[in-house]
Amino acid sequence: MTALPAFGALQAPAHWRTVDFISDLHLRPEEPQTFDAWAHYLGATPADAVFILGDLFEVWVGDDAAAPGSFEARCGQVLADCRADLLFMHGNRDFLVGPDFLARHGVRELADPTVLIAAGQRLLLTHGDLLCTDDVDYQRFRAQVRAAGWQRNFLAHPLAERQAIARQMRTQSEAHHASQAVYADVDEPLARQWLAGANATTMIHGHTHRPADHTLGADARGRALTRVVLSDWHIDAHTRRAQVLRLTVGDALVRLDPL
Amino acid sequence: MSNPQIELHITGHGVITIELDAEKAPKSAANFLSYVQSGHYDNTVFHRVIKNFMIQGGGFEPGMKQKPTQAPITNEADNGLKNHVYTLAMARTSDPHSATAQFFINTVDNDFLDFKSPTAQGWGYAVFGKVVKGQEVVDAIKAVRTTRKGFHDDVPQDDVVIEKAVVVGA
Repeated sequence: MTALPAFGALQAPAHWRTVDFISDLHLRPEEPQTFDAWAHYLGATPADAVFILGDLFEVWVGDDAAAPGSFEARCGQVLADCRADLLFMHGNRDFLVGPDFLARHGVRELADPTVLIAAGQRLLLTHGDLLCTDDVDYQRFRAQVRAAGWQRNFLAHPLAERQAIARQMRTQSEAHHASQAVYADVDEPLARQWLAGANATTMIHGHTHRPADHTLGADARGRALTRVVLSDWHIDAHTRRAQVLRLTVGDALVRLDPL
Repeated sequence: MSNPQIELHITGHGVITIELDAEKAPKSAANFLSYVQSGHYDNTVFHRVIKNFMIQGGGFEPGMKQKPTQAPITNEADNGLKNHVYTLAMARTSDPHSATAQFFINTVDNDFLDFKSPTAQGWGYAVFGKVVKGQEVVDAIKAVRTTRKGFHDDVPQDDVVIEKAVVVGA
């Protein structure tokens, strides 16, 4: 990939004074504390809008998984109950979350990437996996599973079969983590190109689970470019990790601990 | 005492000579040496190769069968050594102190892998040696064709096998 892909643009409504950004919660029934922290945060946030930049769910095999009583349905209820405007971008884990589930729970879908025009700024929002171009095999896999034909074919399998496939991939993924794979970071020259193409000076993304603010030098007009990386969320007996990035009109971006 | 040197003999590619930094990374150097001397690295593959990033190996036999390892070691990434091109570092899971046998050779400067802070996300990857001979072998390995095998991405299509790892002058 050598250029900014087609991107969405979203003009923030005037009443949005505070906007939150979260990503990489990887919600799953086996991690109840992460779910609880997320549910509490969405119920309590004073933000006018919450942008969820991918990997909200650890896995999603189809909207029919959100049957009454399911974990997915409980997550849907948390989304529906949130008083803030909710916007969702797919990640590399939850790329099968469908328009039906989102609409039913009052969540608006975002293209990846999307330029948000808010607080007098243009912010380029992306999950982050598209920018990890070093991983050629992953990009090929991504292109395959994001294709409408592939998804239609996968979703045509009975739900039980899809869940079995997901469980198998989960086992393999856990073994993969035990295999200690070292992961690349985003391609920064490409990130600069994307910012130039979007006429934006700030990029916000997740995916790498390496929260930090990176300066990417200056653009052709001498404006400072920044890449802001969101934290993942993970809470269990040994770990407490969660973070919200908050944009307030007239103020700088701040990172908050929602716990 | 000079730093130990190890040769990795790669079938069909040549020899990579590594010098360990026993002063700045004593635990990692001793750990690596122990795996070399026990023959652990013999008949393992470079199973994860990403051209402009790094080449990773030391954990799997051909056929992606994982070899058993010893206890994990403390992360020594706060030793001041940087993940520059041709340096050798320990691979690990997201647990900062989980490194066992797997290692990687940086094929570009990878600043983002350096130690930032003693937190789960900031620990980075411990550099404990560098390639002193055979950089061209590293360059050849980094460019091999890779594919997705099962859930592993970036696996060389044709196995890149460490036939044997030996201590130089032993």
